Amino acid sequence: MQIHQLALAAGLAASLAASLVPAVALAQSTAPEQKTPNEQVITPEVDRRDIKMPRFPSNDFEIGIFAGTYSTQNFGASAVAGLRAGYHITEDIFVEGVLAQTKVSDEDFRQVLPSGIFTSPKQKLSYYNLSVGYNILPGETFIGAKRAKASALYLIAGVGSTRFVEQRRQTFNVGMGNRLFLTDKAALQIDLRDHIFSLDLLGKRKNTQNLELTGGFTYFF
Amino acid sequence: MAEDTASLPTPTTEQVQITDPFIELHTGPGRGYPVFFVAARDEWITIEMRHTDWYRVHTAGGKVGWVNRKQLETTLTAAGGTKTFRDVVLDDYLNRRVQLGAAIGRFKSEPMLKLWTSYRLSDTISVEGTVGQVQGLYSGTDFWHLNLTMEPWSDKRLSPFFGVGFGKLKNFPNISLVSAVDTNAKLANASVGLRYYLTERFVVRADYSIYTAYIADTRSGEYRAVTAGLSFFF
Repeated sequence: MQIHQLALAAGLAASLAASLVPAVALAQSTAPEQKTPNEQVITPEVDRRDIKMPRFPSNDFEIGIFAGTYSTQNFGASAVAGLRAGYHITEDIFVEGVLAQTKVSDEDFRQVLPSGIFTSPKQKLSYYNLSVGYNILPGETFIGAKRAKASALYLIAGVGSTRFVEQRRQTFNVGMGNRLFLTDKAALQIDLRDHIFSLDLLGKRKNTQNLELTGGFTYFF
Repeated sequence: MAEDTASLPTPTTEQVQITDPFIELHTGPGRGYPVFFVAARDEWITIEMRHTDWYRVHTAGGKVGWVNRKQLETTLTAAGGTKTFRDVVLDDYLNRRVQLGAAIGRFKSEPMLKLWTSYRLSDTISVEGTVGQVQGLYSGTDFWHLNLTMEPWSDKRLSPFFGVGFGKLKNFPNISLVSAVDTNAKLANASVGLRYYLTERFVVRADYSIYTAYIADTRSGEYRAVTAGLSFFF
């Protein structure tokens, strides 16, 4: 093919000026030269290792239920129950949200004031709060002589809201508690908390201190 | 073993070789729990679980205990590489996308509490959802709003931010007021604030917002709020 072209070119060139011939022939012979595609000399026979980084299961979140007594200032103590959810940010610090409610009775007042203070003898008190806790005394709790379980004493404080007799009050809470790990995922928790909010029920607005003692079960996930 | 890992589900445990002179196994996930076993260099251990910065490991000899991340940072994997553990430093700040925070403050001189979460779309822009409550003497307000927040110098430790958003508020009077009625209104808000990166995963934030509530077609209310609070990254 190339030779034919060259011959044709040479034939055409013969009729042209002699000085042009070498240039045309040179151009024709270099242009169509094709390179073969790059062939790999060595095919590597290395199995590629796909490393998948493991995702270790973690249990920084907690969810729990609790029950105990809530003592409403001026109205006595009543049973309280609630839910908690938390997140452990570091080994020391955790945040926790709590939702709970109790039924408060004005029975004591009805002895002297037959109409009572509330519109009905029992009134619902519910509260929520967001708190930050600090594990101040991590350690072990011994059950008998041979068994020890991890536990932590914590201090906790936060803000929230209490709804009681159609009043919603901003509530601060401070307290402490102890968490006893039964396993790495389950814990028993005792919590002592003071809920501080102002209330206007007995004719004068004043700050009330409402102590609460609860015990609960917490699951970590 | 390693050939087919791509088709397998992500493993939940991993074998690593200790490179520190020794690692200490605690009975619980914290420095306050006693050390009950020490594993030496070159020993193979299996990491099983994580709680905050502590990893539960299983030694070749069958001991199970909790080790701090710092002692595992240089361990070698079966593939020969060094392990990369979750480590949060200031530079890592921008890799964290989800933030959760709470703040307390004043809404028109009444106490307010809000909880917010934000998702970082890019280095400087994030979306933020807020729910809050104002617990006034005569009335209370529940509100929520969605904001778009701009943080132009987000790589700085102390950085200002700006946000605009919309939402809804509901104002309900305490029963002692006779003629009061509930108010349901749409709201728009604009806020400016300062964010300070504290340490590891904690951030403090203070902001000043102007809320406009569209109470009726011809009436709107404007409220100013100042809050300060704490947030953390997931």
